[in-house]
Amino acid sequence: MENSYEETIDKRRVHLRPDTLRDPAPASLHLLPCEVPVNRPTPVGRFFTPAIRLGSDGLEASFRGRSLRGEEVVVPPGFVGYVMTEEKAEVLVAKQDDHEPEEQELEEPPEALERDCDRFMGATASFSSFTVWGLESIPGPDAKLRGALSWPSLAAAIHAQVPED
Amino acid sequence: MARGADGGDGARVWQHVFLLPEYLKDASKKMKSGLVFVKLANPCSGEGAIYLINMCLPQLFEIKVFKEKNHSWFINESVQSGGLLHFATPVDPLFLLLHYLIKADKEGKFQPLDQVVMDDMFPDCILLLKLPELEKLLRHVTEEKEVDKKKYYKYSKEKTLKWLEKKVNQTMAALKTSKVNVSARVQSTSFFAGGQVSSDKDEDYVCYAHGLISDYIPKQLSDDLSKYLKLPEPPASVRNPPSKKAKLSDEPVNAKEDYTKFNSKDFKTVKKNSKMTAAQKALAKVDKSGMKSIDSFFGAKHVKKK
Repeated sequence: MENSYEETIDKRRVHLRPDTLRDPAPASLHLLPCEVPVNRPTPVGRFFTPAIRLGSDGLEASFRGRSLRGEEVVVPPGFVGYVMTEEKAEVLVAKQDDHEPEEQELEEPPEALERDCDRFMGATASFSSFTVWGLESIPGPDAKLRGALSWPSLAAAIHAQVPED
Repeated sequence: MARGADGGDGARVWQHVFLLPEYLKDASKKMKSGLVFVKLANPCSGEGAIYLINMCLPQLFEIKVFKEKNHSWFINESVQSGGLLHFATPVDPLFLLLHYLIKADKEGKFQPLDQVVMDDMFPDCILLLKLPELEKLLRHVTEEKEVDKKKYYKYSKEKTLKWLEKKVNQTMAALKTSKVNVSARVQSTSFFAGGQVSSDKDEDYVCYAHGLISDYIPKQLSDDLSKYLKLPEPPASVRNPPSKKAKLSDEPVNAKEDYTKFNSKDFKTVKKNSKMTAAQKALAKVDKSGMKSIDSFFGAKHVKKK
């Protein structure tokens, strides 16, 4: 009984390896205003980055023949940006963690942060700012992204402990 | 959505873009493991949501995802579909505990905490019991008894409402300092008259703060809280169209929906007026319109996966 219960719990956890947060290499990130429906290496430095110009109204670039306008956005104060990926099986074997999964399902792409077996993630890169791009104009002050970036400061207030009577 | 199902190739992995509190980086220097993503019951909806627990401090964070249609990332020399941006922000564990305390209250008796915080769907909820200073936290929302050195708790609605009122006040203060625009009416006039973001009424702030807190408590409690705070009913004219649901339960919480309507309308007005002077732009930057409930910060609801 006890054992199977413990197992069920473990199957829902994704572990984030703290050591990977220490000093990951800085990454350059661009948030594009279009959906590219694949995840794979792509020659960003050959086609996209060299085309970026500083125009009168922020950064200018193009993607698939469309004109983009962008600007640099810094992460909210007190926060660090990380790019995280699922760890590969061989790294797993080297770890001494109590919750190692039996199944070797780690080759599968992660659906989300939740899966039916215990998994491990690590940061592969970090960033303190990224470039946000809009189609033909810079994403305005009403852009959802701006609202999201203001969330941490409000969240801090909502979740701060209140004084006792 | 294609997610690099062609595994094998190590580079074709799903990359998650996260914003984490800086102090996790410092804390990580001392720990080997202990940062865990778990699925717990969202205290508002009761459905599963992702949280990050730091078992070393210990500390609880909620994961919110910014998700908008038609976005992707370039991350160094790779492309990542979806364009998701994950936020890990600290969360008051009391909201999550409250979910269980209210459930257990149906039995109407004092119970030890480990009998209250039990969940077949989200067994990781027992990790909540390892968070520090629980006893102190629980005093805000429960009556307690001690028998043979063991503590027994019972949900107290009265105390909870008092606690929530403090939360609302605290949130209001933050809204004021961060100059979040809480009133749609003021927003459009301020845009054209070049004026007054600061003329928001206190009443608007309370409603807005109540809406934010309501995303962390069950609907029933949210309704009780709005009565407790004596929040005004939304004007009938903006209930458009008045749904049956709204009639059945006279809930000022509807204000949430009304704000959305206002804002989406104003949003279009703003869009049309694309030629802005620098001053207008500066002003518009301060204006954080379109935000009422937490979801509005993130474009879309949490990705729910069974």
